[in-house]
Amino acid sequence: MTDSYIWVEVKTTNNERFFLKCQEIQVFLYDVVEEKDRLKIKILEKDFKKLQKIWFIKVKKVQDLGWKALKEKGKKYHIYLISLAIGLVFLYVISHIILSVEVIHSNQDIRFIVSNALNEKGIKKNTWKKDYQEIEKIKQEILDMYPEDLEWLEIETKGMKYIVRVEERKLEEEKNEPQACNVVASKDGIVKEMVYSSGEAVYKRNDSVKKGDILISGTIKKDEETRKTVCATGSVYAEVWYEVSVSIPLTYETHEKTGKVRWNIKAKNNGFNDFLFKSRLENYEEDATSLFTLFGTEFFFVKQYETTVKELIMNESTALDKALKEVDEKISLTLDEKEEIIAKKVLKKEINNSTMNVEVFVSVLEQIGERQEFVAEE
Amino acid sequence: MHIYKTIKNFLLDQDYYIDLWQENIHIYGFQKIDVLQENRAVFVLEKFTLEILGNNFRVLKLTNKEILLQGSLKEMRKL
Repeated sequence: MTDSYIWVEVKTTNNERFFLKCQEIQVFLYDVVEEKDRLKIKILEKDFKKLQKIWFIKVKKVQDLGWKALKEKGKKYHIYLISLAIGLVFLYVISHIILSVEVIHSNQDIRFIVSNALNEKGIKKNTWKKDYQEIEKIKQEILDMYPEDLEWLEIETKGMKYIVRVEERKLEEEKNEPQACNVVASKDGIVKEMVYSSGEAVYKRNDSVKKGDILISGTIKKDEETRKTVCATGSVYAEVWYEVSVSIPLTYETHEKTGKVRWNIKAKNNGFNDFLFKSRLENYEEDATSLFTLFGTEFFFVKQYETTVKELIMNESTALDKALKEVDEKISLTLDEKEEIIAKKVLKKEINNSTMNVEVFVSVLEQIGERQEFVAEE
Repeated sequence: MHIYKTIKNFLLDQDYYIDLWQENIHIYGFQKIDVLQENRAVFVLEKFTLEILGNNFRVLKLTNKEILLQGSLKEMRKL
């Protein structure tokens, strides 16, 4: 290793004598800066002791240079350097480790076989990330393992997570279309609309039908003689009726903001919420903004608005409106796009223990045709 | 020019040389310094003794056989 340089400060009353002495004891001065009452000199570190022996000067080291200086700085800032090293190692670890593997597919069986295969191939949580070539190889191996179940597989690395998207292979199923079938009524009602692509309509618009009646027949007749048997296909929309009971409490609570706001940090993990600071508000509404996700825990910045709770009593007409709305919602849940509520009528209304009980008669336009197979006569 | 001179001096391996530019005086190849004052310096070379006279001489660098001085040179002579 080469000798390192240092800067020294020399106080002397006689510069000439000092320079001559340096010449005599072979101390080389690589840079000399004259200041007011001193000299700043760059020398080799090994010469420092020689200067200390000169009796008519005062010398002190002011700065290390080169490797020595680096060593000194390393000693001085060792805490920062160790923290930096630990930080870099931590960064390396968190950017090369997988904490979860998510297989995305609606079919549970597919998710199960893919998860097992991935696990077998080493794609599992708490492991090191695999490189691109290895992932491609694993993908192909899994596809080869289940050629009848899997069409396509993609493994995406997102942060500390593998997201696996799968496409299921669907083999063409043989269509077992029944040879003979009717469309029958699933409920009592009045026929309003009939759309069919095969078979023969038995009822017309505004005809009344009962549950089990054949609406579209699969038997094609001509002159009272059976000519052909088909599988009747079509939709029959009819007016059907329901009686719906609803109970509405006449008292309800309102929450009003008082204007007081508190800030907090929320950690959400597996549906459980933890707050960093204890909330001093008894009742509040919160407005949460997602900050970041770490190790599967999502952190939010939360604004908590204090609220006061007031209990109010609803008047009868409002309660009735609410009850009818609830009836609409209840019925609508079972209806498809073409089905609709035609009319509603309140049959009974009573108030009991601060609750309004309402019975409502509802007319609904609904598809009532359902396919029913039968054995065709020879 | 200074670079050219320096390279030439290095390659030709001179016993001594004295270089002047602006307010700098570079002397190479002396054996001993006899005097080193603000207005006078005396260097013993192998074949002669060199005396330089001037004002405000300051040492910028100093090794066993070369020195770089700064100052205003008025006179230079062999003793």
